[in-house]
Amino acid sequence: MPYDYDASKEPHGVYFLIDNKSFYASVEAVQRGLNPLKELLVVMSEQKNTNGGLILATSPDAKQKYHLTANVSRQRDLPQDEKLIVVPPRMNLYIKKNLQINDIFRRFVADEDLWPYSIDESILDMTHSYKLFGQQPREVAKLIQHTIRRELGLYVTIGIGENPVQAKIALDVYAKHAQDLIGEIRYDTVPSQIWTISQLDSVWSIGHRTAAHLERMGIHTMNDLAHHDPYDLTAEMGIIGAQLFALAWGIDRSQIRKRVKVREASLGNSQVLPRDYNDQFEIETVIKEIGEQVTARLRHHHKLAGCLSLSIGFSYAASEQDGRGGFHQSIRIDPTDSNKIIVSHLTNMFRNHWQGQTIRNIAVYTSRLSPNTGQQLDLFSDPQRQIKNARFEAIVDAIRDRYGFRAIVFARSIIHGGTAINRASLVGGHNGGNAYE
Amino acid sequence: MNKDLDLICQRIDELFLRQYNTRYWLQIVDDPYDKTYNFFFDSLKKAHREKSVPLHTVTIYDLTYLEELVEDIQKHTQLSIQFEGFTGQHWPKSQRIIQRKKHWDE
Repeated sequence: MPYDYDASKEPHGVYFLIDNKSFYASVEAVQRGLNPLKELLVVMSEQKNTNGGLILATSPDAKQKYHLTANVSRQRDLPQDEKLIVVPPRMNLYIKKNLQINDIFRRFVADEDLWPYSIDESILDMTHSYKLFGQQPREVAKLIQHTIRRELGLYVTIGIGENPVQAKIALDVYAKHAQDLIGEIRYDTVPSQIWTISQLDSVWSIGHRTAAHLERMGIHTMNDLAHHDPYDLTAEMGIIGAQLFALAWGIDRSQIRKRVKVREASLGNSQVLPRDYNDQFEIETVIKEIGEQVTARLRHHHKLAGCLSLSIGFSYAASEQDGRGGFHQSIRIDPTDSNKIIVSHLTNMFRNHWQGQTIRNIAVYTSRLSPNTGQQLDLFSDPQRQIKNARFEAIVDAIRDRYGFRAIVFARSIIHGGTAINRASLVGGHNGGNAYE
Repeated sequence: MNKDLDLICQRIDELFLRQYNTRYWLQIVDDPYDKTYNFFFDSLKKAHREKSVPLHTVTIYDLTYLEELVEDIQKHTQLSIQFEGFTGQHWPKSQRIIQRKKHWDE
């Protein structure tokens, strides 16, 4: 089918979407003096709550050999093989490498044209600068690949498009399988490169649920989606319907220079418990620990929280029995960054809702953040006491900043069930970092 | 004893469990990108996956220093050491070749 839409008024830029081939696994391979594309290596997190181990990253060859397609696979899906190297994750190292990679990108684009999208992906608006480095975008892409290979030893995959969404699809669907690790989509190649995609959930922003929804509407390929009535799509799926229709035509009017302002920032932490928790005291210990971690982070960012929410997830068996997966409550509070106040609110919320179910997940989030401009004293309690409490927390923070979280912990964390000490050095629940900043 | 040596030896002692049917060795890598020497503790239990745990990163990128460090480590443990990324380089003091065989993917 021809591309019978006049795209001349749409943005025509040069966008690169650059991603690292099996990022964590590649970094670990390079650290060991191995070639990232030729080794069989997996990065496995073996924390207590991972049920034996989670595979965070797999080198391309291992992916192929052991058929590991999921984003995060389980330890049990991986065969025992003497040729395979298993390594623990080092999250801080990966963050450092990501910063080095983005520093290389900054040689090719201005700061405002670079948008780090995730730990291993960045969007570059090369419209204004690619001519400085080559005649064709593809030539510049190769130069970026070689620079990163030479300076860091890593391989990157590059999707090129006239707007960010084309670049993203070019990356996900084409670049990853191409010999030179580069994929390219333009408006005039949309019919041959996007409409031919028959697996809907391989396209960015379409998950398996959206794919199933589209299937129910009789849409089985991107071609069907592009030629479906857009009003029908909007009526069925709301604004997402219109967005999907634009996606099918490879249209994206976003400009990465205009950053989306976060309307309501929030700050919080969650964790999966290493086993099922039944005992009220144990559960409250963990809630207290997470509450304290979140408040420590609030103080680190000089913010006060005006809204507090607690989510509890039941264990598998308990949610079968209960019919709900858990419960969630948010309350408005007077803006604060005090451990005591936040933990007492959390404990109250927990006691109000909990009816003895076994639990496996705990999340604490704070929102309606306001800048901390000074301590607001409460008229109804002793002002000296309030000032003393705030200073006490500031001192604990200072000690932890200097000597690490383990330097000073509440006695309650040592009691059976506490997880804070073990988790203090994890990033995103995995090895390597400080989670209290 | 210097700090690098302390850390490496302490971590080796924690990891070297001498389990049945398991081979243990150390790996030292010349990392030309970060300009560091990376130390790993590797183990392979028969018919299992190989495990490779990072021990330490030595930031003094100098072969003379590394040679002394390796000598001191060998006083502490007799684990065999596998060198990676050192092809063509010699130890400055003993003038011996560091890594004889090239790795297959080099």
